[in-house]
Amino acid sequence: MIDQLRRRARELLTTGEAACIIGYANASVPGKAAPIVITRAEDADRLVFHAACCNNLAVYLTRPEIRKLGTVAMVAKPADVRAAFVLMQENQVRPDDVKFIAVDVTPAGECTLLAQRTREELLDYLVKNVPPAELADDALKDVAALEEQTDGERWAYWQQQFSRCIRCYACRQVCPLCYCSRCVADKNRPQWIETSAHGRGNLAWNITRAFHLAGRCVGCGECERACPAGIPLMKLNRKLAKDVRDSFGVHAAGYAFSGEQLFAGYSPSDPNDFFE
Amino acid sequence: MAIKISKDNLAALVDSLRRSGMRVVAPVSRTAFTEFAEIVALDEADFSQVNTRSSIKQFLFPATEPILSYSLEQSNVKLECEEPPEPRKTVIIGSRPCDTASLPILDKLFSWDCEDRFYLNRRAATVVISIACTDCDDCCFCTAIGLGPDSKQGSDLLLVPGESGCYNAEPCTERGAELVKQHEKLFTQSAAPASVCKAVLEKLPKPLNLDRIANWLRGHFYDDFWQAASLKCVGCGCCTFLCPTCHCFDITDEHGRYRDGRRAGLRRKNWDSCQFAQFTLHASGHNPRPDRASRWRQRMMHKFLYYPERFGSRLCTGCGRCVRSCPVQMDIRDQLKAIESMQADDEQHL
Repeated sequence: MIDQLRRRARELLTTGEAACIIGYANASVPGKAAPIVITRAEDADRLVFHAACCNNLAVYLTRPEIRKLGTVAMVAKPADVRAAFVLMQENQVRPDDVKFIAVDVTPAGECTLLAQRTREELLDYLVKNVPPAELADDALKDVAALEEQTDGERWAYWQQQFSRCIRCYACRQVCPLCYCSRCVADKNRPQWIETSAHGRGNLAWNITRAFHLAGRCVGCGECERACPAGIPLMKLNRKLAKDVRDSFGVHAAGYAFSGEQLFAGYSPSDPNDFFE
Repeated sequence: MAIKISKDNLAALVDSLRRSGMRVVAPVSRTAFTEFAEIVALDEADFSQVNTRSSIKQFLFPATEPILSYSLEQSNVKLECEEPPEPRKTVIIGSRPCDTASLPILDKLFSWDCEDRFYLNRRAATVVISIACTDCDDCCFCTAIGLGPDSKQGSDLLLVPGESGCYNAEPCTERGAELVKQHEKLFTQSAAPASVCKAVLEKLPKPLNLDRIANWLRGHFYDDFWQAASLKCVGCGCCTFLCPTCHCFDITDEHGRYRDGRRAGLRRKNWDSCQFAQFTLHASGHNPRPDRASRWRQRMMHKFLYYPERFGSRLCTGCGRCVRSCPVQMDIRDQLKAIESMQADDEQHL
């Protein structure tokens, strides 16, 4: 599988179809993998794909340093493809600027290179083969447990979780969909969200982060993995994904690369009168 | 004559310190992570981990703290509470030598051009009992930076795990000697301790040539290396916030609260990170460090050139947290090695 992946990467670079490949390489720490950006065909042999390749590489699609390099080909797991699709839907990435070297892990745990290359093919693959992980029954058990608690219990739970937040913004920075060039958390004239790592500031930040991803989060789990304070951020993301599904009857984010967005669309026929 | 303390007596020491009104802080594993927290008895402490996720700096330089409060009456600003609060007398027990070594580094910084009494008052009220390492993980690199698993820098009392659960104890400062003297019944004479750190030393990396690295940095402010080295960085603050030596902070006013009918607020000192775009953003909109490359360069330059030039030691203790916690596996060790070898090449071609 890895030979096929490297061959495809080499081909994309040699033919000039892509100016750079974003993929994974083995990290210096044994057993870990890290993102890598390569621009020379001879470096394609450094690419790997295995269970430790967890980063959502779509995060690099909107980075100015990467955009400068030209057309990007990305090694993309289903969650990465979904994130790239949301970026296309939100007009952050031009569809023609991204090529996919799509990979997946079979239920048996085998890493495979997908034959699907175009976004239409990949969308079809996602719809048929990859149900949204964030809405899986198992994943929603934690959410259901929280929903059963009283307001007071939930409040105490999240206060305790957020109290560990140190405001490093790793959750934001690893998220492919947190691409604002200036985040609301960084706006200081006026300061909408207190930057202090105290109860108020941490609550404001973590809730705002989650809300801004409602209907957009692709459930990759990178925010929770990156959090050095071990805050279970995916519980919030899953709750929102579930509410979006149940309230608006829409499928999870990242199963379309064009068309209307759930919360960013405007229509004069909106049933809410404050939209007029 | 060397001295030692048994595990039971260490527990008695904790009890005694607490009875005297001190807060005792130690690594605890109450969640999936081992972190420093206040303990009421030694059996809550977990000294078995290689290291805690965050460093001891939070007890001297917290992530957020008020530095003054004010109130507004029409256009008059009234300042209140400008004095740092009286710090709690604290004993940190079970700090690893890499964390402890950060204290002299922070001391120099916070007493340099102006005395930061918030830090210095806490520092004066804190005693550090460090425990030498008998194990390391894939991210530890104290030996590369000139420290080691039983370094004494910053420690008041160093405990080295010895035979049958005893710790060989070595007072490193007057404060440490005083603590031993006050509790001399708990310590017993010991034969000169055999170092248990030998086995771990073999697993740790070789020393880097830090002068060579500083020399390269001095001449390569503009270099393509920085772009390549930082391309995968996502620009979060994990590395800086978990680092025991990173000390940059932001000052922010949080107002809008009312006290006695007047608008009132707090001025706070919050951890800040050179990896954030906003860190150097000017009011004019100009940003002298406009990209990832210049921000990453700043981190390396500050740690291995600017701080050493001003204070004579490195702004790094090799604790490995930046490697361990980086969401994209940036590895400062690889970069230092690359810089060292580039400088070696440059020197050969002189």
